[in-house]
Amino acid sequence: MDYKCSQTDRVMTVAFFGDIDEFACRTLRSDIDAKIVGSAPKEVIFDLNGVSFVDSTGIGFILGRYKKLCVAGGRLKLANVPPQVDKVFRTSGVYSVVEKVR
Amino acid sequence: MTKKNYMKMVLPACGKNESFARNVVAGFTVECSPTMGEINDIKTAVSEAVTNAVVHAYDREEEKNLIEICADIDDDSVLTVSVKDFGRGIEDVEKAKEPFFTTKPDDERSGMGFTVIETFMDEMDVRSVPGEGTTVVMKKRIGRSKDSAEC
Repeated sequence: MDYKCSQTDRVMTVAFFGDIDEFACRTLRSDIDAKIVGSAPKEVIFDLNGVSFVDSTGIGFILGRYKKLCVAGGRLKLANVPPQVDKVFRTSGVYSVVEKVR
Repeated sequence: MTKKNYMKMVLPACGKNESFARNVVAGFTVECSPTMGEINDIKTAVSEAVTNAVVHAYDREEEKNLIEICADIDDDSVLTVSVKDFGRGIEDVEKAKEPFFTTKPDDERSGMGFTVIETFMDEMDVRSVPGEGTTVVMKKRIGRSKDSAEC
């Protein structure tokens, strides 16, 4: 798992590459939280185009970041969701909480 | 030619083996010409079961804490996968199968593992004995699932 952050004004985009599973999330949570805290974005877009796999650990990862952003007054959006990831998110109702764009 | 085949592997219940395990089982099904959607469904379900064993069955990651994964394919292209651990077991299996139920909410566990398996596979059975371990058995017919093909 790898990721790349970019920011324009107060919109941060995080592009993920690889598998988001339990093993990856052990470090990914704190890494992404640190990036968000460091730049205080108003909006964060997770670009999932490069994600090859996600399981229910990824649901926890997404909802965890969503909650933290809400508390800080920001919002989270999901973009370029691949089919396997989309099916896991649809099954679990992620889109009823976090907006999917593009 | 018969489609019958089987595999068995035993590996330590540690995080780095989650990816290995799901990809091995997915690879095992290739001879049945699964769709990409079916491969993704199987990978996801196996990952859920293995992750459950890694996260919940044992107190810590040690080489002696094992997961046993068996898979077989019958002549009707029905894949059966069992993921077995020898850990603490589950006190109330029916409760554990409820959507969003988790014993570790502080760890951002979604509690959707069993729900995802039930949704992505045709059948799921969870057998557990407290203090002895848990076995998750799941089945999926390969090659005729329209929903999976459209995934």
